[in-house]
This record gives sequence, C-alpha cells and structure tokens, in this order.
Amino acid sequence: MASLRSSASLLLSAASRPALRAAAVAPAAVRGMAQVTDGQQQNQMASGDQAKLKTFQIYRWNPDTPTEKPRMQSYTLDLNKTGPMVLDALIRIKNELDPTLTFRRSCREGICGSCAMNINGTNTLACLCRIPAEDMAEMKIYPLPHTYVVKDLVPDLTQFYKQYKSIKPYLQRDTPAPDGREYRQTKADRKKLDGLYECILCACCSTSCPSYWWNSEEYLGPAILLQSYRWLADSRDEKTAERRDALNNSMSLYRCHTILNCTRTCPKGLNPGLAIAQIKKEMAF
Amino acid sequence: MTSIARSSLLRQLAAARSATQQNVIAKAARATAFHTTARRDILPPLPQRVDGTVNDPAPVPPTSPSHGSYHWTFDRLVAGSLIPLTVAPFAAGSLNPTLDALLCATILIHSHTGFQNIIVDYVPAYRMPRARKLFIWGLNAATAVVGLALYEFETSDVGITEAVKRIWTA
Repeated sequence: MASLRSSASLLLSAASRPALRAAAVAPAAVRGMAQVTDGQQQNQMASGDQAKLKTFQIYRWNPDTPTEKPRMQSYTLDLNKTGPMVLDALIRIKNELDPTLTFRRSCREGICGSCAMNINGTNTLACLCRIPAEDMAEMKIYPLPHTYVVKDLVPDLTQFYKQYKSIKPYLQRDTPAPDGREYRQTKADRKKLDGLYECILCACCSTSCPSYWWNSEEYLGPAILLQSYRWLADSRDEKTAERRDALNNSMSLYRCHTILNCTRTCPKGLNPGLAIAQIKKEMAF
Repeated sequence: MTSIARSSLLRQLAAARSATQQNVIAKAARATAFHTTARRDILPPLPQRVDGTVNDPAPVPPTSPSHGSYHWTFDRLVAGSLIPLTVAPFAAGSLNPTLDALLCATILIHSHTGFQNIIVDYVPAYRMPRARKLFIWGLNAATAVVGLALYEFETSDVGITEAVKRIWTA
C-alpha cells in the first residue's frame, strides 16, 4: 500500500502538480494518504534534502541459477515515503526497485503468518516488525534460519506441515454430544486454550530452536508441540492418551532442552516453552 | 516447487566478504596455526528429501516410555536429588561413607544420562546408526570404568567428599 501510495503521489506531483493543487478540494484528492506523502515531499523540497535513507540488505538466491551462491543485496529506501513496517519496505522494493525480489506475504497484519523471516537476527513477521526510525543502521533480512530455501526469502516448510499433520490437529471423539448438539465446554475449560489457539503456525519459533535445527527430521519443534498441547488441553478431545503416546519417545518431545528461543521470538507473544513444559509435566508420572 | 539448496550462514558470510578481508583472514589462520581444531564440515546438511508426498504426515515413532517420559522423569529426579546430597556433607560437617557412596553413584548416573542426551542430540540415529551405536556403547563403557574407579576410590581410599575437602584446603 505504502509503495502504491508514494508512487502514485510521485506521478501526480510530476505530471500535474498545479492542476492537483487547484483541485485539492475535490473528494478524490482529499481522501487517502497520498496527500500526506505529498506534503512531506513538499517539505523536503523546502528544507533541502531531508530524506531518511535506510539500507536493507536482503538475502538473494535464485533457484534458476543453482550454481550461483546466495548473496546479500542492498536496497536503499527513503523512509519518509515508506510505511512503518519492514513488509512495507519489502513491498516497496519489489514494486519500485527490483521486481525479482521474492517473499511471501498476505494479510499484512500478523494473522496469516506468511511473511515470517529473520530480520536483524530475530525471527519475526515482517508485517509486525517496525523499521527502527531512530538509527540509520542497515537492516539485514534473511529467510527463516536452517530451512531449505525455495527462493530469496521463501523457506520450504514442507517438513513443518508434515509434522503438523502427524499430530492430528483436529477434534477426535468417539461419543456424540449428550444432547445431540454441539460439544460443550465450561468457561474454565475454554480458558485453558487461551494462549494456544492463537498460534498462526508462522514457524518463527521452530526455526529459532537449536534442537529443531539439528533434529528437525524427528523432533517436532515448539510450534507443533504447542499445537499438540492445544489438543491435549482441550476438554472435548477424547484421544488424549493416544496423543500422549505419540509423543512418548526420545525424539518427538524430549529433544526440547528449555532453551526458550521459541518464547523469546514468538511474534504473537505466545509461550511455546510453557506449553512444552506442561506436556512434560503431565507425562511425567 | 521444492528447494534444493539451503541457506548456509557460512556461505553467505563468505560471499559477503571482500577479497582483502579474506586475505586477512587467511593470514590470520596461518598465524594461528597452533589451533589444533581444523575447520571442517561435521554432518553438513543433506539435500532435501521428502518422504512420500508432501501431503503425507511425518511418521510417528513407536511409543517407548523408557526413552521418553520415564527417562525424563528419572533425569529430573536424579538431578534434584543431587542438590541435598551435595549440601549434606557440608551441613553435617562429618563424613558418612554411605552418603558418600550415594553421592558418587548419583553423580555417575547424572552424567551418564546427560551424556546420553548429548549423543541423542548430536549423533542422529537415522543418519549415522553405526556411529550412534558406537557412541552409546562407548559411553556405557566409560560409565562402567568410572563406576569401577569410584568404587575402588570409595572402598580403598578416602572417598569423594574427603578428597574434595583435601583439595580445597591444599
């Protein structure tokens, strides 16, 4: 959006500035954010070069030329014309500087989990990560660490989704509801799911976990274990024992060594470390 | 489309470095030749492999509490019981052979399960089953030897608490 906005205003300012000034009372010109950036541009012209330039170093790797090594490519943007979040900057780079830059994005508000990437050494969602405005140090953007890369910032989450499928993330019941209607739950039981159901499976936590880096073939990782606990904790689910048995081996659950990178990095503020500790505690005796 | 190459931090660093920087690093490496550990790829990541189709669930390992929940619980109990056992000789101020032997045995079991965890972490059985077996049996042998040594030390010498006491005041 931000990029559309600024490019639109650029066009307008270049082509028909006087006409637009005259027509500023027209509703189409009054509404929308274009005016704001337009005003900033005018300010810049008045007070010399006030451009807040920021450099983004972005990991590039192209599967069409697999023999070429991955490289870091620098892009410099004027923050005055860019939205506040890293995703805004990425979209602007793609629109205006380099259309070959590849990344996943969808909702731009931290609901879909598509834009998970490693920004300045921390796994987070680009749409929830503010561009630090005060320091002009360059930002480094990598794909999620220790993932197979499809292209540029797009990680391959095949194994992650296969593991998610393996924990059977759906309600399992044999008995019908007593009144033949929906399965009911007390408010206290429902409260147990808070902090678990909000997970959007962006894989930020799993790919920040050293144990998952070394053993992702067998260890489930924090995100999937959080989801496991979401179904273990659900009072309506009747396969709790089977779910526990599926985790009761040396690899699936117990490769967690309470490093807690997962909790630190979760862009949604959830606590996978606590959920894993709960599973271990429930399975202890 | 599946990815066939993975991002490697080292490779990125190497690509980002300038030629002069690499020269400096090469010279530094020559100057610090006494570092005995060579830089080598230990267990480099394999090319990506997808078992079955992408829509198949990952396989669920067979249930085995002795490697899972029992193992973990036992680990925690041993680790927890080490705290009072370590404090007890200081609190009592005197030497009790039974307590000393118990402390020895608990430390031995604690380090055995600890090393076991390290081996399970870093020597993946699906990738190098023979090395895994070798490491596990090596650990078992080491634990047996240390156990025997501690037994000898406890029965024919002063015992662990007294030894620490003497080293401390030496």
